[in-house]
Amino acid sequence: MLSGCGFKDIDKRFFVMSIGVDVAKNSPKKYLVSLKFAVPSSSKDNPTEFMIVSEKADSMAEAVRIIKTKVDKEIDFSHAKVIVYGDEVVRQKENEGINYWFNRRRDIQSIAWIAIGKPSALDVLKVQPKSEYIPSNALFLTLGRDGSETPYVISEYIFDYKFRLIERGIDPLLPIIEAKKDILEVNTVGLLNKKQLKLILEPEETKLLNFLRNREEKSANKVSKGGTTIVIDTHKVKTKYKIHTPKGKAPYLMVKVSLEGIVEEATRTVPYEKLSYFEKAAEKKLNKDIENVLMKIQKANIDPIGFGLRYRSRHFNNDDWEEWKRIYPKIKFKVQSKVQIEDTGLIE
Amino acid sequence: MNRYLFYIVLLNMIVNVIIFVPKILIQYRYEGAVMGVIIAIPIGVALNYVYSTTINKFPEQGIPEIIANSTHRWLKIIHLCSIQLIWFTAGLITLVGFIDVLARFINPEMPKLALLVIYLAAIFLIIQLPTQRVMYFLEIVLFINIPLIGFIILSAFTNEYLSWDSMLEVGTHIFERPSLKSIAAATYCFSSYSNLIIFNRVIKGKLKIWNFIAIFFLGIFNLFTAFFIPIGFHGSDGAQQYLYPWISTADSLRLVYSPIERAIFLFLMFYMSITLISISVNWHVSLELIKGTFKDKVSKKKNWLVLIFYASCSAAAVIYLNTVLLNKITIYWMICRFGFEIFLVVLFFLWARRRTA
Repeated sequence: MLSGCGFKDIDKRFFVMSIGVDVAKNSPKKYLVSLKFAVPSSSKDNPTEFMIVSEKADSMAEAVRIIKTKVDKEIDFSHAKVIVYGDEVVRQKENEGINYWFNRRRDIQSIAWIAIGKPSALDVLKVQPKSEYIPSNALFLTLGRDGSETPYVISEYIFDYKFRLIERGIDPLLPIIEAKKDILEVNTVGLLNKKQLKLILEPEETKLLNFLRNREEKSANKVSKGGTTIVIDTHKVKTKYKIHTPKGKAPYLMVKVSLEGIVEEATRTVPYEKLSYFEKAAEKKLNKDIENVLMKIQKANIDPIGFGLRYRSRHFNNDDWEEWKRIYPKIKFKVQSKVQIEDTGLIE
Repeated sequence: MNRYLFYIVLLNMIVNVIIFVPKILIQYRYEGAVMGVIIAIPIGVALNYVYSTTINKFPEQGIPEIIANSTHRWLKIIHLCSIQLIWFTAGLITLVGFIDVLARFINPEMPKLALLVIYLAAIFLIIQLPTQRVMYFLEIVLFINIPLIGFIILSAFTNEYLSWDSMLEVGTHIFERPSLKSIAAATYCFSSYSNLIIFNRVIKGKLKIWNFIAIFFLGIFNLFTAFFIPIGFHGSDGAQQYLYPWISTADSLRLVYSPIERAIFLFLMFYMSITLISISVNWHVSLELIKGTFKDKVSKKKNWLVLIFYASCSAAAVIYLNTVLLNKITIYWMICRFGFEIFLVVLFFLWARRRTA
């Protein structure tokens, strides 16, 4: 009863673990929808069996109805925790139907993760890492941050995706899952406007975006200065930003980043006295990197961090959104970072 | 602090987090709901104060006992022949709304009438009990459920996906002209003090000012939770699209280390008992008022007739009302209730002053 099962026994149900949506090739239909089912097996020898059923259709609802005729059991979506859009799907416009289908259905969890699959969603679903003992579990662990914690993954829930699709002043962002032979690689992020994919960030930029969203604190930052290269292992990263619109002057956005960490790797010995010297270098580098990311995002005219929403929430007039649309393309970014290296690890 | 009064007021506040009040408030979020809420808080607390202290002058008596030997026949008629309807319909819309929620989220393949039968069986058992026992039942249900619901609400407040900017954005529409609909909906959170009309039977001793201070702060917290948390999760522009904003919000919470990852099922489970007791309290009041209308003691047959009337009304409502229609009706019901509530409180206050003076 808990999972909303009605009166059908569990052996007459087929549990969908993940859903993939691609663009249908060589066909008048719009999408290729693939469902990855977990196949319950009676023996423990091969516990990760799964089955993928695909169908071409113009809408999700039609595709699911046709897939129903291809399997012998009732399809159950209550365990579908990952939704993968193919790379080409997010590049095209007019995906509203499928975007909202997931929210409209009562049996798909709002806390399912959504991501972009490369080269296609079907390829991502097909990958079966060796460490996986439940179908799609590797994806669940990566996106859910229960397994590895890394600043290169930006995970996104379906309810938050919908929130960003509608809210004026904040734009959607989706992690990109790349299917390699036996491995799934997640370290880049795709930034969308309200309609389609606009920009893909590199792994380092993804990390900085995660800093700016205050979502991840463990990371490694490389700094080079005077022939020595050190890597700072951070354990605390905090970001604050404020939008300033002084009268008669150009508006600017003040970003304050504070970062604390220890030295994890250095090409030469780093004496304690010289730490502040490296801190200065790290600050300078961080300032420049963050500013570059922000300007890159600004150039694409998207707003994944929610500066526009911040502006709307701090202004009482009703046309604040129109104002922001005029301000954003020409706003200047000022980044002030503060790096604190606490020590150099166990050795100097 | 009198804990029975506290339970009664708390009950409506908790029930209204999930079904109608958030939906109505969020619908008018840019058209004066914020100001409406701010106005509703003093109105709600004032009505609470006036009515509770007035009825407190008649210790351990319900309205049927208080006006049993009154000479004002017309007052008796107004008080006892029409107001049952308000309590009955209050219970009814909660019942129909929650049956719809259950049918949607828990058991979509079960007919709604079957769900209704289960609910009615439990409700009819409770409403015929003496008032004291209904109160005990209410205490137990609240005692078990409030910590757990509190935990879910707390995890909503601390969730990293809660967007305070969206909540503030709605807050910046504070200076819009308040709409009557939003005031009516927001005052409903406070309005279960009116159950004292019967439940005064179990309230012993004088009510202290602390009760009303507690109600004031709880009301603020409650309205803030009901109104702003769904906006924080689903956006100032997007939250009004949801049919049940708070239930969708509960679905957006992920309890990583709990036995069930999706908070929505825990949330609905707690609310099953809370709704049950809320409907029972409303209908208990209604039933007792009907009993008070008759001059002599109520026979078994009459009692059954009333229950059959309740059952057939709710069956008809479940069959004929769909969710959209129910939401529309509820808005107008709230406005009627609001007007009637003020009328009732003022009338009773004036009458009691003449009586005791």
